[in-house]
Amino acid sequence: MSSITPTQVTRRSQLYRRHSELGAEFEENNGLILVKAYGSETELAQAKELGLADLSTLPRTGFKGAGAPDWVTAQGVTLPRQPNTCAVQSDAGLVAKLSYQELLVLSDLNATSSMIEKLNQCSVGEQTYALPRADSHCWLAVTGSQAAEMFSKICAVDLRAHKFANAEVAQTSVAKANSIVIRHDLGSTQCFYILTDVSATEFLWDCLLDAMAEYQGKPVGIEALRALV
Amino acid sequence: MNPRLPAPYGSLINRDAPLDFSFERKSYQGFAGDSIASALAANRHWLLSRSFKYHRPRGALTMAGQDANTMVQLPSNPNALADRELISHKLDVMGQNYSGSLRTDRGALLGLFSRFLPVGFYYKAFFKPRGIWEKWAPLIRKKAGLGVIDQQLQPDYYDKQYKFFDVVVVGAGPAGMQAALESAVEGCEVLLVDENPILGGSLNYTRFDAEGVRGRQLREQLTKKIAANSNITCMTDAVCNAWFADNWLPIIRHKRLYKVRAKQTILCTGALEQQAVFHNNDLPGVMMSSAAQRLIHLYAVRPGQAAVIVTGNNDGYANALDLLDAGVEVKVIVDLREAPSQSAMIDAVVARGIRIETGYAVYEAQKARNHLSAVQIRKITSPGICADSGEVISCDLLCMAVGYTPTYQLVCQAGGQLSYDDDSAIFTLSNCPAVMQIAGSVNSHWDLDACLAEASRAAIIATNALGLSHTEEPAQIARESVSPNHPWPIFAHSGGKEFVDYDEDLTIADIINATRDGYEHIQLVKRYSTCGMGPSQGRHSALAAARLVAAATNRTVAKTGVTTARPPFAPEHLGHSAGRSFYPARRSNMHYRHLEAGAQMLQAGAWYRPAFYGSANNSQQCINQEVSNVRNNVGLVDVSTLGGIEVRGADAAEFLNRFYTFGFVKQPVGKARYALLTNEGGVVIDDGVACRFSDDHYYVTATTGGVDRVYQSMLKWNAQWRLDIDIANVTSAYCGVNIAGPRARQVLAKLCTDVDLSAESFPYMGVRQGTVSGIAARLIRVGFVGELGYEIHVPQHCGEALWDALMEAGQEQGIRPFGIEAQRVLRLEKGHIIIGQDTDAMSNPMEVQMGWAVSRKKPFFVGGRTISELEKKRQLRSLVGFVINDPRAPIPKESHLVLEGEQMTGRVTSCNYSPTLQKPIGLAYVNLENTQPGSRIIIKSTGGVRITAEVVPLPFYDPDALRQEL
Repeated sequence: MSSITPTQVTRRSQLYRRHSELGAEFEENNGLILVKAYGSETELAQAKELGLADLSTLPRTGFKGAGAPDWVTAQGVTLPRQPNTCAVQSDAGLVAKLSYQELLVLSDLNATSSMIEKLNQCSVGEQTYALPRADSHCWLAVTGSQAAEMFSKICAVDLRAHKFANAEVAQTSVAKANSIVIRHDLGSTQCFYILTDVSATEFLWDCLLDAMAEYQGKPVGIEALRALV
Repeated sequence: MNPRLPAPYGSLINRDAPLDFSFERKSYQGFAGDSIASALAANRHWLLSRSFKYHRPRGALTMAGQDANTMVQLPSNPNALADRELISHKLDVMGQNYSGSLRTDRGALLGLFSRFLPVGFYYKAFFKPRGIWEKWAPLIRKKAGLGVIDQQLQPDYYDKQYKFFDVVVVGAGPAGMQAALESAVEGCEVLLVDENPILGGSLNYTRFDAEGVRGRQLREQLTKKIAANSNITCMTDAVCNAWFADNWLPIIRHKRLYKVRAKQTILCTGALEQQAVFHNNDLPGVMMSSAAQRLIHLYAVRPGQAAVIVTGNNDGYANALDLLDAGVEVKVIVDLREAPSQSAMIDAVVARGIRIETGYAVYEAQKARNHLSAVQIRKITSPGICADSGEVISCDLLCMAVGYTPTYQLVCQAGGQLSYDDDSAIFTLSNCPAVMQIAGSVNSHWDLDACLAEASRAAIIATNALGLSHTEEPAQIARESVSPNHPWPIFAHSGGKEFVDYDEDLTIADIINATRDGYEHIQLVKRYSTCGMGPSQGRHSALAAARLVAAATNRTVAKTGVTTARPPFAPEHLGHSAGRSFYPARRSNMHYRHLEAGAQMLQAGAWYRPAFYGSANNSQQCINQEVSNVRNNVGLVDVSTLGGIEVRGADAAEFLNRFYTFGFVKQPVGKARYALLTNEGGVVIDDGVACRFSDDHYYVTATTGGVDRVYQSMLKWNAQWRLDIDIANVTSAYCGVNIAGPRARQVLAKLCTDVDLSAESFPYMGVRQGTVSGIAARLIRVGFVGELGYEIHVPQHCGEALWDALMEAGQEQGIRPFGIEAQRVLRLEKGHIIIGQDTDAMSNPMEVQMGWAVSRKKPFFVGGRTISELEKKRQLRSLVGFVINDPRAPIPKESHLVLEGEQMTGRVTSCNYSPTLQKPIGLAYVNLENTQPGSRIIIKSTGGVRITAEVVPLPFYDPDALRQEL
């Protein structure tokens, strides 16, 4: 049993009890508690086939408004060219353009990206509005070669590799929950980030596990995801 | 004789895998791949079911799952199609719809009374004398319906999956396989769907040449090519059950519903063989010629020992050759045609010395022991009329090959038009949408080469439309001049029982009599007679019924038409529609703390909320204790479900001023203001508080159930107003609690050191930002429950930590959680309304005594114009508070009526026992005459009990609001 427990900090994933029930080993990273691994020796292989990870405690933020694109650019963010695409930042963070005036900023898996903290601490520019993305949405990752096939059971968007390219973003419904789906491959492994209303986290987690069962998909820890990169 | 034919017969069965099963409690053996019907047929058991109305013995008709004759009872599945359902080890199969035994069904006596059960019997027989239907209904309902539902059934797991293809080809016969291949080679992603277990369709069982080799060879060629083409996905055992707009195809395979999106659809759904209509044409042993061929080729079963074939085309001759090759004696081919055209197939039959009678019909079938024993053939003297006498020929198999109807259902669902040429007896389909092509026998092409050519053409059109090919579109393929459809294979008999519709036991006379009763339109004939309304949905009755109605009403079949073919094409389990639906459930970050504290949860919309804490058997006591603790100590309630909307920007105050009824322009920073929302009709639709954190930043709360609508409404209005603001629904981003009670400040002060909580610095309706237990928090001094209270809103993921900190800090002050039931009592004591409970679709602010929350000084707000007009008119009702002083009176419930005499003058909207006042209190709409304190109102409670209540001023508790402003 892990000596690190999610309740030792104030920010707790909606799913921490589920992780504990699955025998998760937690890691502490700059005050953030994440599932390091679930104890299986084949977790990396699982992530390559079909894995589900909870990244909800990792940093993220968002901005919207007519002034938002210029303001975040001025802060050093590289914007994706088109809405519904994303761009990897120089500090390994990820910025998704949800519309011409709305941006979502995600940390890297090691939470080393400095951009989010910098953006959150700056005074926002004119007609730029910060959004509490770290708490409005949970953040899950579905990885592996079977991910798109699994998604076809719960999402009406065709997410197959040749139809939904890496760095594409879909704002859609996953299991009837409004979701942002971002394809952000980890190395050569397909990876989809799902950001859904945080209050529906457990619902979505259960739906995903149910849909994944057919393909022997299982939860994986962040250690396996990092190993994919 | 060995009942099974040697390989290569039996393409669907695995002879190495015998399986035991039972039918009607008798054991049988079949092979894996056998359907129930084929396995029974291999054991020479032909009786499968009893008909719906007359309980007539029925056996296999199509062997394709297209008729109701084969419906049997499985342990947890009534009306399973025995010619579609596969056997499994120890499968227990029963017949259905009989009294006694399947073999000796007492219900068959009904057949003797058939002349007293004419078409429209129900409509004619049970409408008088008055009340007679109620007497008959139980008996008729007992007889109605087929099979037995397993009410203890634990539903199987059904689910759904989306699929996406460039081209979906429905039907994997020769045309379908060719169309799939031609589309795939152009680079299309192709789905090839077929309801059968293997590809090939008619190539698997139809004889296309006298030698009987072409079909098998072509199937092998096409199958190999398809297997080698990675662009083609094959889905066998799958039924495309409808066509919906934008090529949305629901495909059912096993326990999954595939929601398939196709850019182009090519329908190669084939054709359905039709029966001849003659006396006793429904006996076991009488079947479609294609059914006999399916038994032989797919299951290696001889369909009989001695056969007669009635035909109106050359397919009957091919059928004869198949029967001969399988060792069945063919006694005679009865050809309805006077002079069949010359063909190699007929020559081959002649060469094998088979007797052929042209210009003859089967006039009647005769039975022995529930099976065909002989047929009487007679010379046709004119269409549908036979000579007065004929020849009886003993046989146990009669194969019918008199024509086909296209499997037009999906085409017509897409807007296609089915037409029929009365002279040539050829069907055509037209008006297909641009995203749909058709090919093969569904489009009345019967020659194999023509089918393949047409399939290639359809593929070219489809791939050209997708921009994947730029091939010149080939010319349309000409149809053969001779149709396989005989124009009138219908022969009335003096004894009737010539069945047009097997499902509903409808005969020639029934259809004709329907027209004589005045129901001449084919749609009316269908509804009056029930023709085509049974399980097979008119697959085998539509054409014969149309022909009979046309003749009876002196119209052509073309003008008569056929009935509408609505989805689904084939029966589907409810599980396919119902299976794995998603109902997103919402939980706050504190959810498990409530469960751990013994909360009884309830659902408010999608949210789970604690109703109260404690045993469900002791709910009232628990609620009362929670209320008392808030009034006397301090309580903590989870308000995370409350809506939260950020309105930010230079015009934020102006926006709220226009959107809500109150004035907001002069609202000071650091203060909250009650926000009442009306629609354009002046109806109260939501409320909350607007917290001003800076000049250009408002945080507005809304009701749990109303926040999405409020947010949408804000976006809609600002799309018109174009004010410089941003609107963000942040409901889920914040977890919230209300800590309330006289000791609330003491508890909060332990955890919040960066905000001066004193009444002077942080008064009622003040808002602050600070930290609570180190968590960034928004604090709002509100008084919904009528006590000193603070709403604390923190980032969602910190909700549980906040809860823990407050519960721990409040131990000394006797803190206890309270649920929404106690909150409802507390707010009622304070006289606060709940939008949606104390308001309805007509409630304006004045009626609910909220006129104080409406600014009359503003130039505009949503609903303002209507409200000002309403204020000029006499108010019709008012929401008042009442108490019940009689301790013996039952407590009224919401929506109980307020009466004046027997006249309804209002209704109760809220009512609870007040632990504080120690009597029931409530809110009710009453007429204006009863609004004065001291008025008596009569409430009609459960069981009609009249309760006297006294109208009292609001609020019930702390009228001077001293406690909330502590």
